[in-house]
Amino acid sequence: MNTRPTIENGVIPTLCRMCDTRCAVNVHLKEGVISDITPFGGHPVNHGRMCPRATAAIDQFYHPRRITTPLKRRPDGSFEKISREQALDEIADKMAAIREAHGARAVGFWKGEGVGFAQQEQYVRRFAHAFGSPNYFSNDSACYNGRYLGHSLVFGFWNPFPRFTEAGLILLFGTNPPMCHPPFMREFADARARGAKLVVIDPRLNPVACYADIFAQPYPGTDGALGWGLIRHLIESRSYDHELVERYSVGFGRLARYARRFTPEVVEQESGIYKDVVVEIAEMIIKYSPHVSIFTGAGLEHHENGVNNIRTLASLGCLCGALDRGSGFFWPEAFPGRRLELYEDLHLEDQGPIGAHRFPVLYEKRRECHSMTAMDYMLGDGDYRLRGLIMTAANPAVTNPNTAKVEKALAGLDLLVVNDFFMTPTARLAHYILPAATFLERSELHCHIKYQMVTLARKVLEVSGIRDDYMLWHDLAHRLGFGRQYFPWKSEEEVTRWILEPTGICLEDLLAHPEGIVYKPVRYLKYRQRPLPTPSGKIEFASAYLGKMGLAEIPEYTPPYHRRRRSDAYPFVLTTGARMSLFYHSRHQNIPRFRTVHPAAVVEMHPQDAAELGVRDAQRVRIVSRAGSLEIAVHIVHPSELRRGVVEVYHGWEKWRVNQVTCDDVNDPISGFPLLKGVPVRIEPVPDP
Amino acid sequence: MPMKVIFVELDRCLACRSCERVCSFQETGGFKRENANIWVNVDLDRRSIFTMTCLQCETALCLEICPVEAIRRDPRTRAVVVDEARCVGCRMCVPACPFGNIHFENRRHVAVKCDLCGGNPQCVKNCMAGALHYADINELAEIKRRRMNGLLVQGEEGRPG
Repeated sequence: MNTRPTIENGVIPTLCRMCDTRCAVNVHLKEGVISDITPFGGHPVNHGRMCPRATAAIDQFYHPRRITTPLKRRPDGSFEKISREQALDEIADKMAAIREAHGARAVGFWKGEGVGFAQQEQYVRRFAHAFGSPNYFSNDSACYNGRYLGHSLVFGFWNPFPRFTEAGLILLFGTNPPMCHPPFMREFADARARGAKLVVIDPRLNPVACYADIFAQPYPGTDGALGWGLIRHLIESRSYDHELVERYSVGFGRLARYARRFTPEVVEQESGIYKDVVVEIAEMIIKYSPHVSIFTGAGLEHHENGVNNIRTLASLGCLCGALDRGSGFFWPEAFPGRRLELYEDLHLEDQGPIGAHRFPVLYEKRRECHSMTAMDYMLGDGDYRLRGLIMTAANPAVTNPNTAKVEKALAGLDLLVVNDFFMTPTARLAHYILPAATFLERSELHCHIKYQMVTLARKVLEVSGIRDDYMLWHDLAHRLGFGRQYFPWKSEEEVTRWILEPTGICLEDLLAHPEGIVYKPVRYLKYRQRPLPTPSGKIEFASAYLGKMGLAEIPEYTPPYHRRRRSDAYPFVLTTGARMSLFYHSRHQNIPRFRTVHPAAVVEMHPQDAAELGVRDAQRVRIVSRAGSLEIAVHIVHPSELRRGVVEVYHGWEKWRVNQVTCDDVNDPISGFPLLKGVPVRIEPVPDP
Repeated sequence: MPMKVIFVELDRCLACRSCERVCSFQETGGFKRENANIWVNVDLDRRSIFTMTCLQCETALCLEICPVEAIRRDPRTRAVVVDEARCVGCRMCVPACPFGNIHFENRRHVAVKCDLCGGNPQCVKNCMAGALHYADINELAEIKRRRMNGLLVQGEEGRPG
């Protein structure tokens, strides 16, 4: 690997992108080689600390199995090395041919988590539209969007990062912060040191619950029932924010009427949380209102009732008066930089964006096409056929539900291009593989909206033969004839300067301030001065917009799939996706020291369930659902870690793909999210060989 | 001048285990918990998390008992360190330590313990909870006093001050 460092010796401050926390780090170079990565001291995101993933960026960058040249699949399935020029020429020709024969929409674009969001996402969205296709997909169709929609349908926005330090009461639903959001640990500790209380609601007992004042373990997917029970208690005891409800909300009467049925007894029956605990949580909320942080993790959104459960909790937060406070649902003011998307310039809504007819809210609010429906379109079961797919750092053959279907769909494409760092199971199906640049090889803007702060991530070095994602889209656009119009900037740095132009902050300012620049001071309670970004301009306990779509206007509670469709054939409930500390979804499995901690996949199981099945720790079992099966080793957990009947498998393993078992056809009607955390399964012991 | 030690603000630790991992990495290049010199002990029966590492005792029993003077004070950091070249592998130091903070390395057959990474402890850098500190132990007393102040002075609207 031939590298060209930005500087030979010294330190370059930048942001780590081994996960989306984006901690500030210093990258040290010695004679052109990265010698160390250490925490950068002055940034509010990580306060001069970091996690072991940051230094593993060195391992990722210099990894012996890193893809460093474009590869083309031969008819026998093996790959040959070709030049970047040849690869891009051939890819552009094939894209043009598909567009010519079947229309631009027959080519889709898919941005994965591996390249991040921000600018990288905007390039892909821009390119897709400039090409003429409405079909932009991303990892967000199974992460984030469910929570975004759940909150924004109530008050028009979502900031996923409350200032927990300002909270009197922190309620965590379906999240394990030490694994998913390491900086939260510091904030919880600071808040607790001032006397704040912590309530943890999770089907899984994680160590964070050791410090919870209350830990409650619901059946997966029943958080909405608890939410309604808490709403009922606040309303019945008249302990909600009356001014906020009367002046700034619509639909309260209907909310109150619907809440009546959720007595503590009903909540207990539905969620498994004792009725006294429900009342105790409600009383704590009343005591600490409005300084209540309600944080919902991805645990809630992977159910077919996910968005409404999240809306219920968002409504609860509004009743506490937590809206647009630091500790609550803070309404961030957007970075005033230019945006690269072309939705205002080029309207492609009539081009049949995939999934827009099934999940119109997802498309209208997020301009996101539905990646599960895309598989049907690839397989010829859609309104038209999706024939080409250009992906960057996405790995749906591992992370999308129903693996067998995903692999069949991808393998049947006329053109699959995968831009990635490594030979993933998805890349193996591609016609062309392009070597992707890691975060150390690009420079881009990042906003931490909690602080309304912008920081420049800096390029540390380049690898010969590897270009950053901007140059991929730029070079393809120029080959396809729309480069001069839509990708005129010669480098990512030029794009960044263009984005920054209207902001009054220039690139040099950001270079001089690696600690980030506040683009607008944070202000609270703005909804008292101007309307909220909802259709009514108010908090919407009932959404007429959803009503028009034929959906329930208030976030009605539907029991989760596994409780509505109990079946003797599938007596266990499989939850997937609980994070592990060192991996990030399907990434980082090839870092050898990480594998010493997480050597292989396991299915976690309650000791009594294991005893009844007659399986020992480490014995192999087969998990079977109606979608497929997976053979995997058992790990018997502490009896309070999981409820009986609930089993858990991590979602990102390449070798043990739990999505062989998950279904893609049970979806939330609003977000389209797949059911990943409540899959009915049975477990069959596999006899020892 | 007071000596700097690694101390744990116990009720900040949420058991992410980053300290164990980077510590074992310093030792071996791997992430095996048994190679670490800091340990996060989670007891789900009692719902407790207890993290500890060597306290660098003033009267260090491991040092006192070592018959070959392989355990000494680093003159710069004042850490109690093992000179692996001198260690004869008698294991006497392991029972001598009242806390279990020195262990026997079964491949190299020497005693191993926290050496404060020569004054730049990696565990502290990697503690995102801010539970680990590298400072004079009286800092911990100061932190606790400040916290007590905060708890006693309640702010408005039921919100802790």
